[in-house]
Amino acid sequence: MDLSTFLAALEASSIAVTIRNSLYIFPLIESAHVCGLAMVFGTIAVIDLRLLGFASTQRPFRRMASDTLKWTWAAFLLTAITGAFMFITNAGVYYHNTFFRTKMVALVLAGINMVIFEWTAGRTIHQWDTARSAPTAGKTAAVLSLVLWVSIIFLGRWIGFTTTRATVPTEKEPEINFDNIFDNGPDNAPSPPAK
Amino acid sequence: MHRKWASERSSFPVHEYTVRKDALKEFAEWLSHTYFSVFIQNHNSWMIPTIQSIHIAGIGIVMVSVFMVDLRILGLAGRDQTLQETTNRFGPWLTGALCVLLATGALMVIGEPVRELVTVSFWVKMFLVAVGTLIASVFQLVLRKHEQHWQDELIHRVTVKGLAILTFLIWVAIIVLGRLIAYDHVWGSWSPATKA
Repeated sequence: MDLSTFLAALEASSIAVTIRNSLYIFPLIESAHVCGLAMVFGTIAVIDLRLLGFASTQRPFRRMASDTLKWTWAAFLLTAITGAFMFITNAGVYYHNTFFRTKMVALVLAGINMVIFEWTAGRTIHQWDTARSAPTAGKTAAVLSLVLWVSIIFLGRWIGFTTTRATVPTEKEPEINFDNIFDNGPDNAPSPPAK
Repeated sequence: MHRKWASERSSFPVHEYTVRKDALKEFAEWLSHTYFSVFIQNHNSWMIPTIQSIHIAGIGIVMVSVFMVDLRILGLAGRDQTLQETTNRFGPWLTGALCVLLATGALMVIGEPVRELVTVSFWVKMFLVAVGTLIASVFQLVLRKHEQHWQDELIHRVTVKGLAILTFLIWVAIIVLGRLIAYDHVWGSWSPATKA
């Protein structure tokens, strides 16, 4: 199976079809994605500012990290899952989008940055755990992390402005909106805006 | 209109509702012709996504600031610190980020008045922002006055813990409604946007 067949298969999957057929599932998934990334960015910023010595300087780094990082991972899981759901609705378009690709690269770089941090400053935590700020390697990782995560937010927003919503024709009449929750059938429900 | 709830709504004086809605649309249209709005519209391809991205980074700071104080109240984080110490750490960031959100939010309204103002999501969101900000302000003032009482007693009360969870959920709802401004048609005939 080559790549384009695979992407087409993702788009044709029943989950993707269900999301496309509904006009409110996609917005709700996107909302959950924003909640998740707000948590990811916010908690990472808390850690990075601690490394740089800008905030929480009185608290040992390890205590900060154990309070915060589990929520980062939980939120990251939420963004990854919701991101995957959004991706499959329009896989071919997202895959070829430059901002989407750059965002994926930035995510990988953020991961590598984290691994390098563990290998360098992470190995000597016991020496600077209670210090006001981390050694140079830790500060460098913190700056890179902040730059990368802010870039990831920007790139994500740009994906939305450079791709069109999926318009794959489906057999089923799409659900219209909130009115469907109260009353079956799109008889009197207003149409969504053209764009 | 023969929705189940349509009859409830028809008890409102229809003409008043229409007038208010038209005034809002007129205001949005007037705003869209102002110099600053036209400037943003002329540069919208990069200005709108840039403002939105800063807005999202800001909401991350706000959300986590509220979250960390709530976790402290729930006893799930920062237990080596008093509630006042945790609040001192995150309060100023909450205030600062809220100012950023207010500024970028205002720019978005000026840049796309009709898209923002003529929606249900925007106005419910603004109401919740007012509630969320009020809770945060009152909490910080009251905590400062009765620090010891909070630390020894109030923090252990179930109602206070419940309020902490509620506060966090308010900010989650604010984010969701913020995103739904772009999809206001999900509210169906409740949305003025679909009546164009």
